[in-house]
Amino acid sequence: MTLEQFAVFVGSSLRLATPLLFGATGEIVSEKAGVLNMSVEGMMLTAAFGGAYGSLVSGSAAVGLVIGIVSVVPVALLQAFLSNTLRVNQIVSGIGINILALGATTLAYREIFGARSSQLVDGFSTWVPPLLGQIPVIGRPIFEQVWIFYLAVALFVLVALGLKYTALGLALRAVGVDPKAANHAGISVTLVRYGAVTFAGLCSALGGVFISLGNIHTFTEGMTSGAGYLAITAVIFGNWRVWRMVGACLLFGAATALQFQLSPLGIEVPTAFLIMLPYVLAFVAVTGLVGRQTPPAALTLPFHAGK
Amino acid sequence: MSANAISPAGPSMWQSLIRNEIAVAFAAVLGALIVGLLLIVMIGVPLSDAIGAFLDGAVGSGYAIAASINRAAVFAAVGLGFIFANQANLTNVGGEGQIAMGGIAAAAVALKTPVADLPVGLAFMVPMLAAVIAGAVWGGICGVLKVKVGTNEVISSLLLTFIGIWLLYWSVQSTDLLRQPMTNTATLPETLEIPDATKLPALLDVAGPLNIGLVFVVFLAVIIQLALHQGVLGLRLRAAGLNELASRRAGIPYDRYVVLAMAVAGGFGGFAGAIMLQGDQYVLKDGFTSGYGFDGLVVGLLARGSSIGVVLGALFFGFLRSGGINMEMTAQVPSAVVVIIQGLVIIAIAASGYWLSRNEGKR
Repeated sequence: MTLEQFAVFVGSSLRLATPLLFGATGEIVSEKAGVLNMSVEGMMLTAAFGGAYGSLVSGSAAVGLVIGIVSVVPVALLQAFLSNTLRVNQIVSGIGINILALGATTLAYREIFGARSSQLVDGFSTWVPPLLGQIPVIGRPIFEQVWIFYLAVALFVLVALGLKYTALGLALRAVGVDPKAANHAGISVTLVRYGAVTFAGLCSALGGVFISLGNIHTFTEGMTSGAGYLAITAVIFGNWRVWRMVGACLLFGAATALQFQLSPLGIEVPTAFLIMLPYVLAFVAVTGLVGRQTPPAALTLPFHAGK
Repeated sequence: MSANAISPAGPSMWQSLIRNEIAVAFAAVLGALIVGLLLIVMIGVPLSDAIGAFLDGAVGSGYAIAASINRAAVFAAVGLGFIFANQANLTNVGGEGQIAMGGIAAAAVALKTPVADLPVGLAFMVPMLAAVIAGAVWGGICGVLKVKVGTNEVISSLLLTFIGIWLLYWSVQSTDLLRQPMTNTATLPETLEIPDATKLPALLDVAGPLNIGLVFVVFLAVIIQLALHQGVLGLRLRAAGLNELASRRAGIPYDRYVVLAMAVAGGFGGFAGAIMLQGDQYVLKDGFTSGYGFDGLVVGLLARGSSIGVVLGALFFGFLRSGGINMEMTAQVPSAVVVIIQGLVIIAIAASGYWLSRNEGKR
């Protein structure tokens, strides 16, 4: 592999990791607050559709981005309402929402796009950062990315620092570890969790819009194809630590990128193995072979004030 | 607790109605169906056309009924496994992967061993048994992880689902595994058809494809009902699920019951894969699992621990799916409408648990 080929590989790994990074950044906030938000997939898919629709009718990817984000708000509020107010089993509500989102986006796509289904819509433009982009040979292949890739990086850094160093981050973690004590300390567990799930929804929305407008510039049925589940997997694989989680996203992105890189190099690895790899790695992680898993203590446990 | 003191009058009719779980399930399904009908109106297909096509596909002919029931048998198998594990407060979301593993095992045994030469009954029973074992291992792993390292079974069974689905994909992509020999470039990535002797016998010749999967499932439903509600096994599973420490103190081998519960749930998933392969599809290919594992999960949830509930729910979804497919083919109603109905049913049923438990608290 030449240096340039390697740079192309790194660039495409970063691109493929972007939706996972968005989804996982939101998911870790939600899980740190004690809510296993299983509906990342449905949220991404909704936003992918909303984004493509917005771009189709307005001709502008920026409008698409706004509509994609707005379209996820009701989904996020539904998830928050089910898991916090109604205390529904979080897995079940997530799966229900994912199925609903798949059905709703497929139906809306058929009805709205219909005959125009193969039409490309306005997508995001790429951006080459100064200095980094000027590195000879590897600069452009690696750093020339759709601009919201850099938004993903910035968002992640903010969340990582915010969780660790701010009062809000502390409150959030407290709610996820010991909601009762947090409640006694005057933190509204319900409010924090609603906020966390909504934030997860907004992050997932960015990931979803990235999938439809950042890359393919159109919508196809079920186009997120498991990216949301992979984002959740990255959080688990990262053992609920932000930096390990980023590592997981990059690893999963690289595994996907390898599918396109290995064959031209004459290396025959079954595609199925590469697609399966992230799940196998995550599974190995949860078996405790690479250190004990330490999820937030109150993860998936609904909070019952006054009980 | 204090609600009774405030309202000394007996529970209103509304309360007793909502307390009735069957009524809740019925209301959820009815509400979702109404939404479905509204969607059909919105997309501009005449309701009579849509409903006509739906009924045609679901119950319009002997063939349609048989196909719906075969499908229902698959959902019921997964659902029965789900309620068994759920008795111990375990949530098996791995039905889809267990179906995949069952399908792989049944196909491998049917195609790669001389099992077709066995006497008639054994020829289809052996692959089926292999499928049950494969599914049980896939589910049992989650139980072992739960008791050994405390891994949440939801997370492990979900990850194993993805692994199972891609293993199936792999096994039909590679001629070293189960893919049919490549005779030309157009050879599809799927297995050969399994030998006739390994296919499930038909239950009734007149009714088209109705196979004996149904008989197995009804039998299993009775067994599960008895096991969960009549004997000591059900009580012990429940005790283990309610309180690990207390059940251990009471001498119940908690670890063993958790592994057993997940292995049984997985075994039922594997069995579902076997009847899909041997009763209906006959070849293994990508997409074999068809989302039936998730449908079965929904059926199990709806049933709230009752075998009869599983069978009724499975029949409902079996007919719903068949009708939905025909609506898409003949009335141009996207089958996504059916997917939406399913999603709504899951959410509504799950949400209704809140009111059910609140009313129980008041009693």
